[in-house]
Amino acid sequence: MKEWYDKINEATSVETLEEIRISVFGKKGILAAEFSKMKGLSGPEKGKLAKELNSHKSALMNEFTAKKITLQTEALKEAMKAEAIDVSMFSTSSQSGALHPVMETMDRIVEYFSSMNFAVKTGQIVEDDFNNFEALNLPKYHPARDMQDTFYFKDEMMLRTHTSPVQIRTMMSTKPPIRMIAPGAVFRRDYDLTHTPMFHQVEGLLVDKEGTVSFANLKFILEDFLRYMFGDVEVRFRPSFFPFTEPSAEVDISCVFCKGEGCRVCSHTGWLEVLGCGIVDPNVFEAVNYKDVSGYAFGLGVERFAMLIHQIGDLRSLFEGDIKLLEQFQ
Amino acid sequence: MIVTRSWLNEWIDLSGISTEEIAKTFNSIGLEVDRVEEYRVPKKIVFGKVLECEKHPDADKLNVCQVDIGSSIRQIVCGAANVRTGLTVAVAVVGAEMPAGLVIKPVKLRGVDSDGMICSAGELGLADMGKGILEIDSSVGAVKLGDNVNTNSFFNDDLIEIELTANRGDCLSIRGVARDLSAAFDRPIKEYIVTDNDDKRGIGRVLSLAHEKDLNVNLEYKALDLKDLELPTLVKLRLAQIQEQRDSDIESMLLYITQSTGVILRAYDHSFFCKDDEKMAKVILSEDEKGFACIKSENIASIVGIVQDDASKVKEDESVILLEASYIPPEIISKKMSETKIESGPMFYKTSRGSEPELDAGLSYCIDMIEANSASKTYSGKIELINSYVEKIVIVTKQEIDEIIGAKIDKITVANILKNLGFDTSKSSTDNFVISVPQFRHDIVNKQDIVEEIVRMVGIDNIPSKPFILTEDNRLEDNYFEYKKRSIFRHRAASNGFFESVHFVFDEKKTLNSYGFATTKDELELLNPIVQTLDTLRPTLLTGLLKAASQNVKNGYSSVRLFEIGSVFTPDREESYNMAFIFSGDKESESLANAGKPSKVDFAYFVQKISDVVGAITLREYKTIHTLSHEYQTAEVLMNGEVIGELFRVHPNVEKDYDLDVTYMCELAFEKIPHGLKIARKTSKYQASFKDLSLIMPKAMRYEKVKAVIENAEITNLIRFYPVDKYSDDSLGEDMSLSIRFVLQSMEKTLEEEDITSAMDSILVTLKSELGIGLR
Repeated sequence: MKEWYDKINEATSVETLEEIRISVFGKKGILAAEFSKMKGLSGPEKGKLAKELNSHKSALMNEFTAKKITLQTEALKEAMKAEAIDVSMFSTSSQSGALHPVMETMDRIVEYFSSMNFAVKTGQIVEDDFNNFEALNLPKYHPARDMQDTFYFKDEMMLRTHTSPVQIRTMMSTKPPIRMIAPGAVFRRDYDLTHTPMFHQVEGLLVDKEGTVSFANLKFILEDFLRYMFGDVEVRFRPSFFPFTEPSAEVDISCVFCKGEGCRVCSHTGWLEVLGCGIVDPNVFEAVNYKDVSGYAFGLGVERFAMLIHQIGDLRSLFEGDIKLLEQFQ
Repeated sequence: MIVTRSWLNEWIDLSGISTEEIAKTFNSIGLEVDRVEEYRVPKKIVFGKVLECEKHPDADKLNVCQVDIGSSIRQIVCGAANVRTGLTVAVAVVGAEMPAGLVIKPVKLRGVDSDGMICSAGELGLADMGKGILEIDSSVGAVKLGDNVNTNSFFNDDLIEIELTANRGDCLSIRGVARDLSAAFDRPIKEYIVTDNDDKRGIGRVLSLAHEKDLNVNLEYKALDLKDLELPTLVKLRLAQIQEQRDSDIESMLLYITQSTGVILRAYDHSFFCKDDEKMAKVILSEDEKGFACIKSENIASIVGIVQDDASKVKEDESVILLEASYIPPEIISKKMSETKIESGPMFYKTSRGSEPELDAGLSYCIDMIEANSASKTYSGKIELINSYVEKIVIVTKQEIDEIIGAKIDKITVANILKNLGFDTSKSSTDNFVISVPQFRHDIVNKQDIVEEIVRMVGIDNIPSKPFILTEDNRLEDNYFEYKKRSIFRHRAASNGFFESVHFVFDEKKTLNSYGFATTKDELELLNPIVQTLDTLRPTLLTGLLKAASQNVKNGYSSVRLFEIGSVFTPDREESYNMAFIFSGDKESESLANAGKPSKVDFAYFVQKISDVVGAITLREYKTIHTLSHEYQTAEVLMNGEVIGELFRVHPNVEKDYDLDVTYMCELAFEKIPHGLKIARKTSKYQASFKDLSLIMPKAMRYEKVKAVIENAEITNLIRFYPVDKYSDDSLGEDMSLSIRFVLQSMEKTLEEEDITSAMDSILVTLKSELGIGLR
């Protein structure tokens, strides 16, 4: 009997173990042979042998089952080992597309202002002189018109040079209070390293009762907005001039590249100009026939924001459907 | 506008204030600093005087000079053409380290010892004043031979370039900038004291002034005999610093005074206004044929504030000349110029933004400067034509100021700021500031203009930030939902493998027309396109995407997938949004997954991608209006039975033109893509059964015909069907085999075999009778 225990233990494959099982437990196996010996015995001897054989039978069975599990596990392991792959070869990049960084930046800006309860207004690209200039306190001879070289059509219409006409149209069609932003494409006749004839702006306008809207309110929302967009930056307001606001200011953030130390991007000033804003000029309200109101307005270039946030160097590459650039935003 | 510290200091005392602080103040009061530059002459460069100057024995162009540098006399060989005996010069002595890095050592030049170097302005690190050594005169003050040059403030100066906004013409002079600083630092401005000479010859002998029309122009004239004018060192140095120069010394002098005072000055040849040999110049203020105010006699001498005719300019160094100071309100001149554009001279920039109206300050200063630097004699008196200025009055209350700013500003602070800026507030009462606006601040017309002045000077940094208290309101409306819809479909396109691109709304008319697109009508067309290739509004997004795909292929991408949502325009210039796609070349990039051989995009794959982005679509045979499409692989795209756009393979010729592999495109009218809340269908809880039928039908037969017949038969329990395989071989001839999968499901029970068979039978019977097709 002992030798069978050893044989089971020494089996090296599931197949040999199966052969052993047949030799031990099969109809013509050794256990059957041993049990047949009981026929000639009787009484206590028969009982003793039976007991002995049964105990061997179950012990061998246990041995066998345990060994089988071990061997099966080993066999599976071997089989799996044969299926081994070099996972490092499968490092991969995404096959999905990507959103345009300028549009995505615009989405973030819109998200901020809609959550601050600003309405979103879009308007039209082809505009007339009244909505694009005249109503914004930019009469025909105003020198500030030089700042905005305009695309004209033969019928004296023009491509909007800012999204401000959307604000004029909104004021002309709605009663105050107004709390809106106007995101969209705008056009200026300028084409070089830092200018493209089309770019995108988001402008904002708040109008409420006279005496309620102050420069301090404008400071609050723009500081909060710029920190939402750029993280923990310093914000600085510089008085400036826009025909449609008074007082007016330009807003700088501490340079996101050098943290205000001074670098090439910020022309070694430590500051980056990102926004224009101000208290709405009374002439604008007069043009849209609003009385006894006060308000603030602001405007920003989306490309500039996107370039600063994503550290994109070349403005023109943004308008070329360039996968080299876009695939980085997957 | 370029200012220097020393020049500003002539108008306001800046002692104790660092240049850095001045620059910071400029920024905070709205004069944006573009550039700060320091002029620092190095050590060991001293004042010297040329005592002797002789030709070098062995070199034509060199001179051997004996130069007194206070402590000793040095022999220096100098190559400058303008070196001469008696000149005061800047001498770099042995050991001096020049800004360019050269260290001065004793040398022998062609056998002659040279112990130092006589320097040009450029060599000293000052603004470049042209060829030759720097000639120093008394305009920079008394100099002591041997003293370091950099002890003189003019040679140890700081330059600040500021960018002025269009409304601040008053700051286009040193005096104007000083006035702003005066308010910021609360220090008084130094005014120029006007004195008249007592020459026996009055100006009335040589000049008479008449006006033919009442024009809103102020004029003031002086006359002088010009003789031996020499520009002083300081004037030359400063003109070099502002990077300006004029052809003659007299014009340079006028430019200097204008830059300093803001007053527009012109010099005329006296004889231009005289008939024949007469001594009397008859100057007439009139209007030219275009309606511009002009100065003339027989001929036009100048257009006021715009340009001077060359014929009237001073031509001889020694002659009688007229000096004119003029002022014309900027709004008049800019308005006139916008109506009728004429050629303008260098002063137009200043006059159109507002020059200095206080003419006497500029003209007298100019006369004094010319007399001090020439042998000229000025006629006594002046002739002027001045329109009285009606003062603008702005009334504002303290409460209004506080409300607009959002903070309480002290009353005395307000009054001080306004006074220093040149506003008269003496008529104010306890409740109201009554402010009379000086003529040079034409930009100030209302309360908010006044508040802006206060905000600038108080400093925006000193205003607190306060949240606005708003009334809750639902501000989600159509425009927002449209924006949101675009955003959703952009995300879907990107997650299905397309890269978002943005192109200009301009395109080339010629190319578009050649492909058969209708472009903006001629009478509505762009007047001033930026380049010829962007000369019209785009009617389609397709061409932009084709160009971008082509460029990407050139950049080595074998799989190009792009989309764009953007504005397109009809010939009547009506604007709408389209969404377009391009898919070119490989389905995906090479990888282990496709064994390095990705298959090419095909019609079925492209349609699937589009459908993944926009939803279930139906295709119908179609012919595009343009010629970009492959005629036999072009479809009209429908959603919910409505046409929303087109989808096609790109014509092989176009693929070739753009160097593209097999390419598919799709353009949809964005507003027609259905979007909104969905209504859930009732679904069956019983199992669905699938059954395929392989039909033999003519190759020419359209599937949409088969589809229509089956749909019209209204087969019970048939919930959908779709083609799954298509097969043809020689044995089938002009026929093909099309396998269609039918999905049957009942709301009431699990379908049994006989239900399915009977449904299939009805389909076959209908197809046979309607189209004459059946099973293989």
